[in-house]
Amino acid sequence: MTDAVVLGWQQRIRDAAASGRPLRIRGGGSKDFYGQEPVGELLDTTPLAGIVDYDPTELVLTARAGTPLAEVERVLADAGQMLAFEPPHFGPGATLGGTVAAGLSGPRRPYAGAVRDLVLGTRILDGRGTELAFGGRVMKNVAGFDVARLMTGALGTLGVLLEISLKCQPLPKAVTVRVLECGAAESLRLTCGWAAQPLSLAGTCHVDGRLVVRLAGAAPAVAAAAARIGGSAWPEGDALFASLREQTHPFFAAAGGPGRALWRLAVKPTAPYADLGGAQLIEWGGALRWLDLDAGADPQPLRAWAASHGGHATLFRGGDKAAGVFQPLDETLLGLHRRLKANFDPQGILNRGRLYPGL
Amino acid sequence: MPPTLSARGVRPDARALADVVTRLTQDYGERAATTRAIRDQHSHGEGMADAALPDVVVFPQSNDEVAAIVRLCHAARVPVIPFGVGTSLEGHVAALYGGVCLDLSQMTQVLEVNAADLDCRVQAGVTREQLDAELKGTGLFFPIDPGANATLGGMAATRASGTNAVRYGTMRENVLGLTVVTAEGRVIRTGGRARKSSAGYDLTRLIVGAEGTLGVITEIQLRLYGVPEAISAAVCQFADLEGAVDAVILAMQHGIPVARIELLDDVQMDACIRYSKLDEFAVLPTLFFEFHGSAAAVAEQAGQMQAIAAAHGGSAFRWATRPEDRNRLWKARHAAYYAGMALLPGRQGFATDACVPISRLADCIVETKADIAITGLTAPIVGHVGDGNFHLVILFDPTDPAERAAAEGLAHRVSLRAIRMGGTCTGEHGIGTHKLDVLALEHGDAVETMRTIKRALDPHNIMNPGKTVPL
Repeated sequence: MTDAVVLGWQQRIRDAAASGRPLRIRGGGSKDFYGQEPVGELLDTTPLAGIVDYDPTELVLTARAGTPLAEVERVLADAGQMLAFEPPHFGPGATLGGTVAAGLSGPRRPYAGAVRDLVLGTRILDGRGTELAFGGRVMKNVAGFDVARLMTGALGTLGVLLEISLKCQPLPKAVTVRVLECGAAESLRLTCGWAAQPLSLAGTCHVDGRLVVRLAGAAPAVAAAAARIGGSAWPEGDALFASLREQTHPFFAAAGGPGRALWRLAVKPTAPYADLGGAQLIEWGGALRWLDLDAGADPQPLRAWAASHGGHATLFRGGDKAAGVFQPLDETLLGLHRRLKANFDPQGILNRGRLYPGL
Repeated sequence: MPPTLSARGVRPDARALADVVTRLTQDYGERAATTRAIRDQHSHGEGMADAALPDVVVFPQSNDEVAAIVRLCHAARVPVIPFGVGTSLEGHVAALYGGVCLDLSQMTQVLEVNAADLDCRVQAGVTREQLDAELKGTGLFFPIDPGANATLGGMAATRASGTNAVRYGTMRENVLGLTVVTAEGRVIRTGGRARKSSAGYDLTRLIVGAEGTLGVITEIQLRLYGVPEAISAAVCQFADLEGAVDAVILAMQHGIPVARIELLDDVQMDACIRYSKLDEFAVLPTLFFEFHGSAAAVAEQAGQMQAIAAAHGGSAFRWATRPEDRNRLWKARHAAYYAGMALLPGRQGFATDACVPISRLADCIVETKADIAITGLTAPIVGHVGDGNFHLVILFDPTDPAERAAAEGLAHRVSLRAIRMGGTCTGEHGIGTHKLDVLALEHGDAVETMRTIKRALDPHNIMNPGKTVPL
């Protein structure tokens, strides 16, 4: 790629590496709130936009990192396809690069795969300004280390994404949303019981004493699953899941308010319901628990609880980032992270400290 | 301190190696073998013969033992070659520079099965068939099925897949976390039980598929699936290969969640008819299907697939709904390699592993068949068509250098053709030692970055040196 934009970035990266002044990589800025505080001089990725290659037959789309996520989704929808991991936009400017860097997935994630499962290949600039391509555009590739996936969720600390190839999926033919009145513990019992059954699940949400379940797939399978799950039809349809994905649901509005902190707890689905000091919204069949806490709440009990249930706790929005956004790594793992970081970005200029202080 | 194994082809320091062997035989007694027979057994996988003997084979039984052995080797700069049951195809386990073969086949515990969480944790030496047996009665299954009865550790290390990948993914998507002994002999846990893997970089996916070059996988947390309520298998034969491939493309477009779609070309079908006595079928390009789900879903998927196949010149479906009939079909499919070998007794066979964008699959196979015809070799083809991945088993006479060269040339051209068509030289078998040259062609500068990752995580180059990205 001899793109002038890329050439310009290579120069900026080399200059930054020489001077040791960090760069803050940013697309639409819709996820500025996420992770540790961004620092450094702005490197705006939005000029590198456009879909490079999309043949619906392949179920693969390749686009430049600055391409608006909305544009990608529009083009896919026109061909009857989707990004099955339902990436949250969190703002009109969300880009494909930011989506992959943040590594966040929406309500369909446990059933259709996470962003990292659907990234087939990436093209990046490392912290020396070298352009590198990993993975490819085919469904399976075991040629060498899986570096494309390493970029996913690295919050731009290992490289500036230039281009991404993603696996796409056909839109489901039918979608049905059901609701069951029940408490959180009963909701977890139900969703864990359903997990191994062929129920065409495409999202679950428990909040305010109600379990809402989205089913998607072929019409007969969805109808059969709806009959088995019971409950009643949810009048608002799929809109609820859109509001979870974008966190426009009233639960998130409250949790995002002043003096509040929104915590994201990823745990094994069978982790029992526990009163952790605030309101909870449960997604992903129990594997994801959102928690609305006081901004000053002590992170230690949350982190200990999440770790004891096979997972981790992230300070998603608000609160005090000084205590760390992500679950701390032990010394050995942190050492491996430092080595990888030094490997891709020896001067530590790319999104310095965005994932962990010092990385 | 002995020198780092930096230069290619350099064996470890003889004195340091001798000390390691002595120490291991002292500490592990009969579980550290230096007999020629056992070293021979551990000198190669399957596929092209390229044996290289380890100096000692150790059979650890715990994470701590693996860690202690690796620490010893790290201090002495002696190579460590992780070994499961030796079914890899690309020279992954040959001890190119001698050293310690770490045979994990005694680490065979299924540590946990968490039915409601749909996951399990196994030691690296648990084989695919052992896990199947242990899951019997739980209502769960693990879908990744490479042809061989490989260990889960080996399958994770090579990022294996199989016939179910379209629906269930490969090891990449189904390993939730790992216990790994690093090159320095530290035990780390990556990922976890949570669906969203651990905070930080995705070390799990970096180590899955690294072919033992970044650390030793000792435990694997695997995702499990509910046993489908209904399963139905069917076979459909086509007048030509393009019809078969086009039918599959259309099925993927419609999002029909077929669990398995396998292509066998006419040569392979001929081999399978003879070897597995599938006398009811003709020598034609053939698709094997399997549908999973609720009874309603299976009926619908099968009906749609049948209509698509018919529109592309497919024969009527021949159904196998009873378990014994299904098993017979899939046994025949899994025996395809041996069936191919039986076409020309006394020949050796080795497999290619191209994966291309699905729209190029028919082109790629047709060009390849023309290429096979020119060489005069016999090379049946099987394909995981839904993924764009297909294998030739190229048969050749190992005592005839010209024929071996022709076979190697054909395999190399298949890799180059796949790369030219926007694909990869390896969809599931890996790089090992056989595809190092093609990896460089496929990935260019990125190979240098992989090399620096290798240096960062294994500074003395003791972990399976000479494989994947040799230093």
